[in-house]
Amino acid sequence: MSTLTVEHVARIEGHGTITVEMESGVVSDVRMDVIEAARFFESMVVGRRFDEVSLITSRICGICSPNHALTSLKAVEAAFGIEVSERTELLRKLFVYGSYLQNHATHLYVFAAPDFVGLPSVFPLAQTHPDIVERALRIKKTGNDLTTLIGGRPVHPITAVVGGFSAEPSASDLRAMAVRLEALVADTVATAELFQSFEVPSFETSGEMLALVDDDDYAIYDGETAALDAGWRRPAAEYRQFIAETVVGHSNAKHSTVAGRTFMVGSLPRINLSSDRLMPRAAKTLATLGIAAPSRNTFLNNVCQAVELVDAAERCAMYIDRLLGVGGSTAPQPFTIKAGSGAAASEAPRGTLYHAYSIDDDGIVVAGDVITPTAQNLGNLEADMRAYAPTIAHLPKDEFILSMEKLVRAYDPCLSCSVH
Amino acid sequence: MAPRVAIIGLASDFGCQVQVTNMEDHLLDVLGLMDLSYWQLASSGHLPDEYDVAVIEGAVTTADHAEALLKARETAAVVIAIGSCAITGGIPALAGTADYDARYGVVYGDGVAVARGRQLPAPVSSVIEVDYHVPGCPIDPAEFVTVLSRAIMGLKDDMPRDPMCAICKTQENVCFLDRGRACLGLVTRTGCTAKCVTLGRPCTGCRGISPEANIPAARLVYAEKGLDPLELDRLFDLYNAAREVVV
Repeated sequence: MSTLTVEHVARIEGHGTITVEMESGVVSDVRMDVIEAARFFESMVVGRRFDEVSLITSRICGICSPNHALTSLKAVEAAFGIEVSERTELLRKLFVYGSYLQNHATHLYVFAAPDFVGLPSVFPLAQTHPDIVERALRIKKTGNDLTTLIGGRPVHPITAVVGGFSAEPSASDLRAMAVRLEALVADTVATAELFQSFEVPSFETSGEMLALVDDDDYAIYDGETAALDAGWRRPAAEYRQFIAETVVGHSNAKHSTVAGRTFMVGSLPRINLSSDRLMPRAAKTLATLGIAAPSRNTFLNNVCQAVELVDAAERCAMYIDRLLGVGGSTAPQPFTIKAGSGAAASEAPRGTLYHAYSIDDDGIVVAGDVITPTAQNLGNLEADMRAYAPTIAHLPKDEFILSMEKLVRAYDPCLSCSVH
Repeated sequence: MAPRVAIIGLASDFGCQVQVTNMEDHLLDVLGLMDLSYWQLASSGHLPDEYDVAVIEGAVTTADHAEALLKARETAAVVIAIGSCAITGGIPALAGTADYDARYGVVYGDGVAVARGRQLPAPVSSVIEVDYHVPGCPIDPAEFVTVLSRAIMGLKDDMPRDPMCAICKTQENVCFLDRGRACLGLVTRTGCTAKCVTLGRPCTGCRGISPEANIPAARLVYAEKGLDPLELDRLFDLYNAAREVVV
């Protein structure tokens, strides 16, 4: 028996090792060993005050911190029965999209693209293809600038608080951002075209697909959880009733199942379930590129992220217009601290993110629970790896490894999130 | 010859490494200052046997982390710690209380043994000597470039020493303490432009304790403002739970 390992897989967020066991040339086992250190966030919030939760849980992930901050704020608000203003909701949606632009651009160009052009990193492209690197940095920077405009900085928002925001961007800054976002649509369409031009295997996952859905919107900030194959929709706050988590011996991240099946979350499931809710240019891009939703090809998650970039650029400009027209305030209104439990979900760039907290009469957290997108994906990723590896076992070792890494990166795993 | 730099991540959220990529306008210029030998987040390849500068992000929470640090110190001429996790233990150290092992049960139940080799979260300086520091949660990328440049040029570490209050006053912010709200500007190391207070939130102490801070006096200020003096300590735990407590 021989064992092939790729330790500390590069260009993913966090530390993980791919292990492939072979017996006389036949793949006998494949694992994704998540060696990222446990930080015990769910125990860490216990004993802290309700208004510190988003500060703490934001630190689960430095890439999608706005999503952790907002989802935990929504869960605390659910526990207290706080309803936020329409203005706050709009500003939060914009905030989520700032995170999408930054995350997807980073994953596509910095993490994934080098695989398809045969380079160790994106940096050498600055000499050979400056136009591509400049485009990547423009999208990423616009996302970071949007997040900074609303949250105060690109990583770990300052202004997002229980009930609203502690400060709000000026109308003139928002208008200038809308102009930049409209101009960014061309860059995002070019990104989708670039990723559609990369050849990917015709591989299909056997797992279920889950994402939030909303009748009136491309569900990002809120919605019900929907299952593509099973066809159901359920309140996201009841996630503990449909997602089962188990501890597996080779991973510091737990694995998830729904009705006994592994499942996928992220851009591909979102587009599969909500392609009819995309903005016009994004819908057109999807159609022009010939991507038929629903698709079960995991590798298409990359190009689906790119289509979501188009959607984000278009949609944010629209949200800013709407925000400038709507009155009201994002300042938190007075609320009563009381004992209770609350759960909430949102779509983080990598998939559905669930947070839940129980709080006592003094506003002190007594229990916390977080299920991150990557924790949901890991079981399905391993199932895909086990199905895919035998089909490419004949390839030379380097090519075999690169193909496996491409599959892993298609999920855009965030291992810090997955362990937390 | 450009110094060979390895960026190494321990227990963290990668936020400080992400901040390094977040200086889009200058990223390529900054990368031009160095020969990037290893950066798992952004490039394929293995940690080489030889490099000149180790940039460490994250807290020490496993035996493997401690071993990696000893190796880095042996290899690199210069060690730079970036971010609260690496410098004070940061948010991970918040779990580092006496019941640390019980936290395993809260998260993993009594099932299969994972999170092997875990140890109480601690700053990098608990294992090896650190030459340069970039404090904050997250770091400010501009400060990272300044410190990296100082390290490459062999200038001494030059962290700001004053408490944050001084810079906050120059921003003409209205004092939270004067409004009866707890803020850690009195004891936290400055260098951040008081961004949080300017945006309507009290200082949370992410840059660690100022060497000029007078903790007992700060507790008295809390009492004067009608706050529980020990609230200062409780709040300061958020990023500084691994500190030595001043009585």
